[in-house]
Amino acid sequence: MPRFLSRRGFLITGAALGGTALVAAVGGAGYLASVDVDGLDGHLYGERAVLNAFVVIQPDSRVIVNVPKTEMGQGIHTGLAMVVAEELDIPFDDRISVVFPTEAHPAYSTWFNLLQIRPEEASGPIVWVGRRVLGQLGFIATGASGSTMGMWHPMRVAGASARHMLLAAAAARLDVPAADLATGDGFVRHEASGQHLSYGELAREAALLQPPDHPALKPASEWRIIGRSQPRVDLPAKVRGEPVFGMDIALPDMVHAAIRHAPVFGAKVARVVNEAEVRAAPGVRDVAVIDGQKVAVVAVSWWQAEQAASLLNIAWTQTEANGVTSAEMSARLKTALGSTEPYENINEGDVEAAIAGSTSPTIDATYEVPFLTHACMEPINATVLVRDDLVAEAWVSSQSPMAIRQGVARGAGLAGIEPISVTCNVTMNGGAFGRRSDQDVVAEAAFLAARHRGRPVKLIWSREEDIARGLFRSHAAARLRAALGADGLPMAYDALVATQSITQAIASRNLPFTPGPDGDRLSVEGLDKLHYAIPNRRMRSQHVPSHMPIHFWRSNGFSFNTFFTESFIDECALAARADPLAYRRALLRANPRHLAVLNRVAELAKWGTPMAPGRGRGIAIEECYRSVVAQVVEVTVAEDGEITVDRVFCAIDAGLVINPDAVVAQMEGGISFGVTTALMSAITLDAGTVMESNFHDFPMQRIADAPAVEVAIMESDEPPCGVGEPGVVPVAAAIANAIHAATGRRIRSLPLAITETNGERRRRTVLRRIAT
Amino acid sequence: MVELIINGTQVTVETDAGKPLLWVLREDLEVLGPKYGCGIAQCGACRVLINGESAPSCVTPIGSVAGASVVTVEGLAQQGGMLSVVQQAWIDEQVPQCGFCQPGFIIATTALLEATSQPTDAEIDEAITNICRCGTYPRIRRAIHRAAAILAER
Ligand code: FES
Ligand code: FES
Repeated sequence: MPRFLSRRGFLITGAALGGTALVAAVGGAGYLASVDVDGLDGHLYGERAVLNAFVVIQPDSRVIVNVPKTEMGQGIHTGLAMVVAEELDIPFDDRISVVFPTEAHPAYSTWFNLLQIRPEEASGPIVWVGRRVLGQLGFIATGASGSTMGMWHPMRVAGASARHMLLAAAAARLDVPAADLATGDGFVRHEASGQHLSYGELAREAALLQPPDHPALKPASEWRIIGRSQPRVDLPAKVRGEPVFGMDIALPDMVHAAIRHAPVFGAKVARVVNEAEVRAAPGVRDVAVIDGQKVAVVAVSWWQAEQAASLLNIAWTQTEANGVTSAEMSARLKTALGSTEPYENINEGDVEAAIAGSTSPTIDATYEVPFLTHACMEPINATVLVRDDLVAEAWVSSQSPMAIRQGVARGAGLAGIEPISVTCNVTMNGGAFGRRSDQDVVAEAAFLAARHRGRPVKLIWSREEDIARGLFRSHAAARLRAALGADGLPMAYDALVATQSITQAIASRNLPFTPGPDGDRLSVEGLDKLHYAIPNRRMRSQHVPSHMPIHFWRSNGFSFNTFFTESFIDECALAARADPLAYRRALLRANPRHLAVLNRVAELAKWGTPMAPGRGRGIAIEECYRSVVAQVVEVTVAEDGEITVDRVFCAIDAGLVINPDAVVAQMEGGISFGVTTALMSAITLDAGTVMESNFHDFPMQRIADAPAVEVAIMESDEPPCGVGEPGVVPVAAAIANAIHAATGRRIRSLPLAITETNGERRRRTVLRRIAT
Repeated sequence: MVELIINGTQVTVETDAGKPLLWVLREDLEVLGPKYGCGIAQCGACRVLINGESAPSCVTPIGSVAGASVVTVEGLAQQGGMLSVVQQAWIDEQVPQCGFCQPGFIIATTALLEATSQPTDAEIDEAITNICRCGTYPRIRRAIHRAAAILAER
């Protein structure tokens, strides 16, 4: 087991980065497995005792837990504080508070996400070097449903280590063996003498002690907090309406900015036709073209800035994308599905031979999904201050302090300023869904801040900029083929997806290097169906570039591929005249973990019980973020084609669950997100421009449309797995399958609508309800 | 110059009469509970009580509420900071995820329960039109029923 807290740590880090020879010299795997260099030495900070990178204790015994993960609604601050409280042996109550640390210690780095490995399993030279490098780079980010997976063990060790140091401090103070001491309720007690000392009394001495090499962790049988639902630490402030979001930042001398981006991505500002008029508008301080591509208005209030920005008459350059429509994008994807040389991700057995040799008809279906956007409830914003001495500070509802730091450097750089240092304050995020990992808004605010040195600049994108001029989930299409054997199960499965490489698009905007488009894991996740027993399997992808800025979007490739594949498996079941549940059971026969989840959701939904005419049930299952999640959806399809999702049942094996109620909430929220997407959401293009602009034409589910949700969490022997995204993943396919069960009609594209007209009408229905 | 009462305190604001109440609250008065979510009366994040009625403050010009009594989410807790019944129900049901939309839902629910003490699910569907992108709807529904039940006991 690696150590996370070591006084020697810093020295080893410094040396290791000195040269590869040294890395090689310490490269014996046994040594690497036990060495850890991420530690932050204990120290005193004013009244506070910093026991390690994660645990700070005040004289009044209050505990501050440093959680280097963004709270964006998923409850991660609570979950990781629970882990620390468990090992520290303190009650989980309001004596615990959580902060997102502003320092970028290597201990906070998100190396496990990139290296795809759990810290408790990490060992060996590649991991060791990867951790060193990513730690030094300050790679800290929240995403990929990876926070509990990646942090629960280090934070357990941090809590246990702090407790050990408190015990050692008490032993020294009382002059008794540490073994005679016990902890509980924030005290160290010596039962024999009846003496006790509070953590607050001991913390300053404890902080200066040597941390233990391998602090014993509490056995699971003694857990009192982990695995039992605890109230979220951030909710009291949120129901009181306290200013916790980036948008709520209010600083002395602050000025406000609004912005306009090009209607066609890639177009440049040819000229601001009426700059003088806009500058003369009330409250306006500045009109600035940023990087030749966008125009910002700075004013004394955001309302004035936005009013003035709406006066802007900007001449944009023409680009090749000026003529692009959704129909043309769709045609491009369909053409790409005929590509003769797609990238081959998987090729097992001989798919073509199996299809050619099959006596049953080939099942061959093409599916499609549109562009989407995140529409986080808190519109995109950033506040940046560049002081006259070029020291910078930023306050951003962001998923990554590294993105903030880089964004500030980039934006200030565009204004010819190189900040000496950047303090990154990560605030609560009003939703993120992958959107808030980009540097874009930070760079824009930093550019303006560099022009207005000494004044904080708060830039807020209007909702219209967010929906129509922001970042998008890719448009994607897939062709799936299967040949069934005598038992009705697929002998061959052939999947080809056409879409824009997600990784390449993100890297091109945020990293100094851009990988090639092929082999993009994010584009194909959800396509392989490796958990289904199929003897011949091929998975291929074809990159289809567009002018649209593609970004992470809650569950990425799974958000489309699982819709494609789990719809397709239903089509196979239908061809085999098999029940969709029984068919999946047969395909999962070798995977007890998946089978258990599938059976649990079927039981929850009373699969097989009769339904009224016009109603139907659909099922889908996926393995994602190391979790296995299955859902059954019940729909009603009215005579006129209107689709209502009545109930959703969900079972998830998410491994060890720290805070069960938070997992249920993530499933509920993911399902809502997925139902909205499946029934309502599309970003469409005309003349290269996004046509949607706000919630009237990019509608969201409201309470009247929200299905009842029932969630079952499986007992599991796995360590913690991801939960932020899995809830979204099976929904769309399960709804499509339910619609088929209700109507006999197979819908192969999103948003799901019986006819185009009804799709439109649904939007109007939502609107009418709101208008009255 | 507009005079009005915000959370029980008389205030005078000097601003353009066309400036929306939302931005007067957030920028001129630093009352940051009401949120900007859409600016076009679609999402409800900006909802406040105006003379007891729930209204989207993003489309309410300050000039139109002269003399009115405005209550924001900050004004719901009782003296001494005790949460209102609705806010407490929100904690008891662990409703918020990101929380950005919740001030608007809490305001809308406060107004609903004032008008309809025991709302049915259909009445909730009719009255609560706010958007929660995090999808906390099942819990919002439970919290509304819980708050209604507690208020009925009083
Ligand atoms: S901001 Fe007022 S309704 Fe959305
Ligand atoms: S809790 Fe995030 S939008 Fe409602």
